[in-house]
Amino acid sequence: MSLTFLIKRLAGAIPLLLGISLILFAIIHLAPGGPTDVYADNPSVSPEALQQIITRFGLDKPVPEQYLLWLKAMVTGDWGLSIRTGRGVLGEILARLGPTLQLGGMAMGISLIVALPLGTYCAARRGSRLDTALTFLSFAGISLPVFWSALLLQLVFSVWLGILPSAGMKSIGDGSLIDRLQHLAMPVTVLSLATIASWSRYIRSGMVDVLAQDYIRTAYAKGRREWGVVIAHALRNAMIPAVTVIAIDFVTIISGAVITETVFAWPGIGRLFVESMNGRDYPMLMGLMMMGSFGVVMANIIADIIYAALDPRIRHG
Amino acid sequence: MTMKMTRRTMLQGAVAGAATLATLRATTADASGYGGTLRVGLSYEIDTMNVYSTGYLGDAQATIVEGLVAPNDKADYVPVLALEVPTLENGGIVLSDDKKTMTVTYKLRPGVTWHDGKPFTSADVKYTWEAVKDPAFIAESKDGTADIDSIETPDDLTAICHYNKVSPDFKSTLFTFGIMPKHLLEGTDLNTSSYNQTPVGTGPFMATEFQQGQYVVCKRNPNYWDKAANGDQLPYLDEIIFYMLPDTNTMITQLKSGEIDMIVRTPYNQAAQIAMIPGMEIIKGPLLSWQHVDFNFRNPLLADLAVRQAFAHTIDRSVLIKAQGGFPEAIKSVVVPVFALYDDTTPSYDLDPAKAAKILDDAGYTMGGDGVRAKGGQRLSFKFVVSAGLSDDENVQQIIMAQMKAVGIELVPDNQAGVAYREARYKGNYDLIYGRWITSADPVYSVFYGTDGPNNGQAYSNPKLDAVFDTLEHSLDPAVRKQSSSEMQHIIAEDLPTIPLTTNVAVIAKVKKLMNFVPNPTNMTNFVHTAEWYMEG
Amino acid sequence: MVDISPSLAPPRARRPLGQAVARFRRHRMAMGGLVFLVAMGLIVVFAPFFLPYTYDGQDFNFIGSPGAMSAQHWLGTDELGRDALTRLVYGGRVSLGVGLLGAVISTVLGTAIGAVSGFYRGLVDIVLMRFTDVMLSIPTLPLVLLLSTFFRPSPVLLIGIVGGLIWMGTARLVRAQFLALREREYVEAARALGAGGARLMFRHILPNAVGPISVAATLAVGTSIMMESGLSFLGFGILPPVPTWGNLLNAASAWLGIAPWLAIPPGLCIFCTVLAVNFVGEGLRDALEPRL
Repeated sequence: MSLTFLIKRLAGAIPLLLGISLILFAIIHLAPGGPTDVYADNPSVSPEALQQIITRFGLDKPVPEQYLLWLKAMVTGDWGLSIRTGRGVLGEILARLGPTLQLGGMAMGISLIVALPLGTYCAARRGSRLDTALTFLSFAGISLPVFWSALLLQLVFSVWLGILPSAGMKSIGDGSLIDRLQHLAMPVTVLSLATIASWSRYIRSGMVDVLAQDYIRTAYAKGRREWGVVIAHALRNAMIPAVTVIAIDFVTIISGAVITETVFAWPGIGRLFVESMNGRDYPMLMGLMMMGSFGVVMANIIADIIYAALDPRIRHG
Repeated sequence: MTMKMTRRTMLQGAVAGAATLATLRATTADASGYGGTLRVGLSYEIDTMNVYSTGYLGDAQATIVEGLVAPNDKADYVPVLALEVPTLENGGIVLSDDKKTMTVTYKLRPGVTWHDGKPFTSADVKYTWEAVKDPAFIAESKDGTADIDSIETPDDLTAICHYNKVSPDFKSTLFTFGIMPKHLLEGTDLNTSSYNQTPVGTGPFMATEFQQGQYVVCKRNPNYWDKAANGDQLPYLDEIIFYMLPDTNTMITQLKSGEIDMIVRTPYNQAAQIAMIPGMEIIKGPLLSWQHVDFNFRNPLLADLAVRQAFAHTIDRSVLIKAQGGFPEAIKSVVVPVFALYDDTTPSYDLDPAKAAKILDDAGYTMGGDGVRAKGGQRLSFKFVVSAGLSDDENVQQIIMAQMKAVGIELVPDNQAGVAYREARYKGNYDLIYGRWITSADPVYSVFYGTDGPNNGQAYSNPKLDAVFDTLEHSLDPAVRKQSSSEMQHIIAEDLPTIPLTTNVAVIAKVKKLMNFVPNPTNMTNFVHTAEWYMEG
Repeated sequence: MVDISPSLAPPRARRPLGQAVARFRRHRMAMGGLVFLVAMGLIVVFAPFFLPYTYDGQDFNFIGSPGAMSAQHWLGTDELGRDALTRLVYGGRVSLGVGLLGAVISTVLGTAIGAVSGFYRGLVDIVLMRFTDVMLSIPTLPLVLLLSTFFRPSPVLLIGIVGGLIWMGTARLVRAQFLALREREYVEAARALGAGGARLMFRHILPNAVGPISVAATLAVGTSIMMESGLSFLGFGILPPVPTWGNLLNAASAWLGIAPWLAIPPGLCIFCTVLAVNFVGEGLRDALEPRL
């Protein structure tokens, strides 16, 4: 791992991001109707005002110039103006990022804590009855539609038992940690269900591969106890294939926990996306999609760095 | 998903009608006491708290920001920040000599203060007009601003508005939506002001916390200007909290779990379930609104009266009503029966699919092998738009589709959400569209069915009807208005640009212990007068 | 969401098909999944011929609220008086159709792009892989949502959108296989014997990449079905009255309190089908890419 590698990777991401922005820009311009159609037939908005809006959003310029203007706003400024609220896109996104990071971070943390031992155990006891049962359960976790499990949780814990708030991020006037955790409990569970399931599969299969390697057999031959071998030697290497998946899943949750956030009225990025879609807020949609894509690109780079840290055989430079 | 109901969908009021001495006051007995929190679930996410730029009806805003006048539960305008509603009789409205322009004088209520303690004056009224009119301010509704040439403020409590025309609808827009504080906003950019999150008004409640996508907290204004009939200082409630809950299922879950106390637009088909929740009740409130299906005249097949008549003879309203929990009522005229101008002799079409089939046969539309009629290779197959995600509307759509299929007309759903639905509706990007209009107390129908009507997305044009509108909307003589209103209803019923199907009613779910609640049928929402609401026990 | 990028295991020597089949058959969960899927497929294809109702036929006696289960309506009726069983079966046609065809499209696209990229290398490879990287970097669900609001999906369009956005994993996988295999002796030999590009690709290299491709394709079926149900929930899915398991489940959710018999069957169908698909995928992986 060297600094030059990092710089090279980051520099390599720039053309990728440009490509992404071009494709997104093209898709958004494919959309039937333009952003000002929101106002076009509103008699309350005079032609004069409409012209103001068009100038304000730079919509009177040729498309390539619009792209460059937008690019400039992305790099240097406020990412353009939201049509729905009139405020800067970046500011709106940042306001929503906090709740989403809380939700996503918590879900990721719990998933990792659960999936790691689960996957490791299943690999070490491959074929055992418990492995089969856990395998079955993790597939079940992947196969449950998110909104369905969310609805059932709400029914049980909010309506029947009345012990958890069914939606929202916090109670008004209650900033306590307990209150926050109560609100987090169900959305985090719903998000974690699927990720625990898929990650433990990846960790299990990585572990199965590693445990078959010669150096592990050598360790056994040297008389190390089983769990000592698994944890000291194998886990590090078994994590490697799972790292990318974990990094990408994290970004996926941040850019698109649309369903969970809608059901639990969580004021995050996913909700903002749906609201912006209903309001045809193109600058906001562009901003959100770019942020998500940027996240994926960065996640890949970070995953590579973690690879190198986990596996001393990988040397970039 | 949310339904976007905007102020634009309302109609303009007319100047006719005597000054009313009624107030917004509820008629109930003495309140038992102060205190309590009311938690309301909103089905949409509030975009901005500014009443002029929000794309939704201003439910939460109505508790904070007040206008000069407001409609009461009977949709009559009553004074709020003005001392009386200006009329010709009380001298508040003066027509110019040539009867082409008018001057409206508001006498303002003395002793009213903004939430920050500064006095409310006529300068605020003038500022509101200037600010909303400013083209740099991006607003959802600027209705009425262009009709005023200038505003004079001879003293702090008098605002004289010089209109450049006789504007019958002056009460339903601008100063009714709300007054903005000049001392806080002058010289700021209204598009980005913090006013859009925590507006400062004169209302019974003050916006203390706005969390985007979560909730708005409105706390009791201890210095509110109004008192109850028994002398109690208003308002009673300590706070009203509006929660934004975009998912209908979640909203109903929250009612069941007792996390919210009230929702104002209950889906019809969910009312029965909610009524079973202990402590909850369903209130059916009237709305100046009706549900209808419109035809697009750009489609030559739909421009054929015979096809439209086939629809009118086939759609069974009783089934639609049943599917909507029995709440709406069948109508035959675009004028909802509560209005005095409603004409009960408006012709209706008897429910008779066989007759519809005969009409189509006679017009040359013969049944094809695929169960769809056609004439000269043109199939009677139409694109049918409703607002996506509204279960009530999608159910109505499916029933109409099934009924029309029986007479050989195919309808293909093309539902749109949010702005896309509105756009389709105004631009005529449909063959058939189902929806509703909400109006103010004195509706003007030319906006929907006049050739140049701004809400006429169906490209419908009937010069005879235009002439009737011209008479109706430029006359203050009740007899003339009644006569031409009848003509209008007959022409629309015979020409069938639209089929009025059912009334639209508000189904409000609330806790029983919330007292003094009176539903408001207008676009100013149920929250236009919250000062006297209180919680029992 | 289901992740569809299986591990990029190094290609292994080709094994006789029979051995793989035998291994698959020993995998009990996978066999169970396969039997379930075949049975489900047969039911949704043939059952409508035996059902007395149509999916949009409304019984006016039952309009307004869901009808209970009865001898006439085994799974009850929905709030428009339509037979729930009939709609469930038709919904299965659409959902399974979207799942299968979405997977087919993504597999064909992914295989073609990956194969061309890995076989020709050079500029073609660079361009195609950069494009793949770009598509891989745009979050899928938001992009699917965006496209389905612009173009209200009919079943056909939805299949196109879903299939068109989940091929990237397959493309990378196939490319990796091609890069590795094209240098193998037998490919060299075939080339020396004058085999052309297409022949080399389809006759000599592709068959060896069938294992990972079929695993990815299987999992794509599950991804497509889940995506359809998510879109329906958000109101951007296939429009009623055409039933899908997703929109049936979503519509029935509103009645969960008083008519759970409406919501449970479509929920179970989605759950069991995706589960079965994942089991089959797992079985295929074990059978075609055996470890040890």
